[in-house]
Amino acid sequence: MTEHDVTFDAMGSHVRLLIGEPGPGMAPAPEAAEQARAFVAEFDAALSRFKPESELCALNSDERERVPASELLRTAVKAGLSAARLSDGLVDPTLVGEIESAGYVASRAGMQGESLATALEGAPARRPARPGPARNWERFAVDDEVATISRPPGLRFDTGGTGKGLAADLIAERLRGYSRFIVDCGGDIRIGGADALVDPYEVFVEHPLSGERAFVLKLGGGAVATSGLNVRIWRDAEGGFSHHLLDPATGRPAWTGLVGATALGDSAVEAETLAKAALLSGPEGGRRVLAERGGMLVHDNGRVEAVGPLAARPRIRVPDLPGTRR
Amino acid sequence: MTEPARKARRPSPALVAWSSIALFAVLFALLTHQLSASQPPGPRPVLVRKVVKRRVVTTVVPSPGRNTVTSSGASVAEASSAGYAPVTTGAS
Repeated sequence: MTEHDVTFDAMGSHVRLLIGEPGPGMAPAPEAAEQARAFVAEFDAALSRFKPESELCALNSDERERVPASELLRTAVKAGLSAARLSDGLVDPTLVGEIESAGYVASRAGMQGESLATALEGAPARRPARPGPARNWERFAVDDEVATISRPPGLRFDTGGTGKGLAADLIAERLRGYSRFIVDCGGDIRIGGADALVDPYEVFVEHPLSGERAFVLKLGGGAVATSGLNVRIWRDAEGGFSHHLLDPATGRPAWTGLVGATALGDSAVEAETLAKAALLSGPEGGRRVLAERGGMLVHDNGRVEAVGPLAARPRIRVPDLPGTRR
Repeated sequence: MTEPARKARRPSPALVAWSSIALFAVLFALLTHQLSASQPPGPRPVLVRKVVKRRVVTTVVPSPGRNTVTSSGASVAEASSAGYAPVTTGAS
């Protein structure tokens, strides 16, 4: 059995595809990988808020209340809205002005971020994030019959919060029928194929403070995603530290007592949403968020905590990390 | 006057033993003949065992601005027990 393994840069991160044997009449794995790569390029060109020529930027600057939109943009907006509903507004896709005010106005791909450990020392008191009172995401509506998106002009949308997960899900749909596959869009991972059920993939979860493997999951299907503060940290105008996960209630970076969260889900969008919601909810709320599907929380002090079904499953190995305590 | 009752004569042990052996030999020969007649000699059935071995072909696609790309690639950090480079989930 041959498995094709391809890695390339896209969406400000990396994309990796492992594709097994094709089903009857399906394209060979290298061809499927090339098609997936072309799709990711199209996806990024249409949905990046850092590219002024993208359809997303066109939507955000359009002065009409009802704007014609491609199927891809409508799908992306629906994914963002489903994340907001699933998290009751905690994962809010309308915080574009707030994230720009925090200093995240251009892609930070390839940029060296500030140290998370240093940022934690100077971070404000920890508290859980809360949904924004305005609930602006509820003012977006997608109409697939007439292919439009409507919202009050001036209200902007950011598909970035669910973008990589959605890309993984859409590629996974295209790979349905291959014996096994794994789609990794910047750590948002989707797994499928009948053979993967018999011989699961090993997925390592990176510890946000040490960069070591915090634990190993064996997954035969579904999705897993991780949200963390370690990648995009920068100095703001006042000299403090900022990152990209905002508290919708304040519009400011959230410091909740957690530095990372990993979640399982049926789809990558669901896993990504649960991971973000868990991190934003803080330790106590994060346990509730992950209780049903399972996941991992990484506390400010580096402690790794298995939650929900993962806490009881013997197939999860949690190796000891130097310098962390349980 | 009555005749004295005849005493029943028991067969000798040697006769019983040889009779049993002879009967067994006859039946054994019969069964052997039947088996050999119903199963003509032919090719022996061979158990075919299919061995499936996963082989991973790794391709690292060069990205713009990256000068050096090798077959081991940046993403291939170390060998995995699963036979492919580790798949890692982390913040990105």
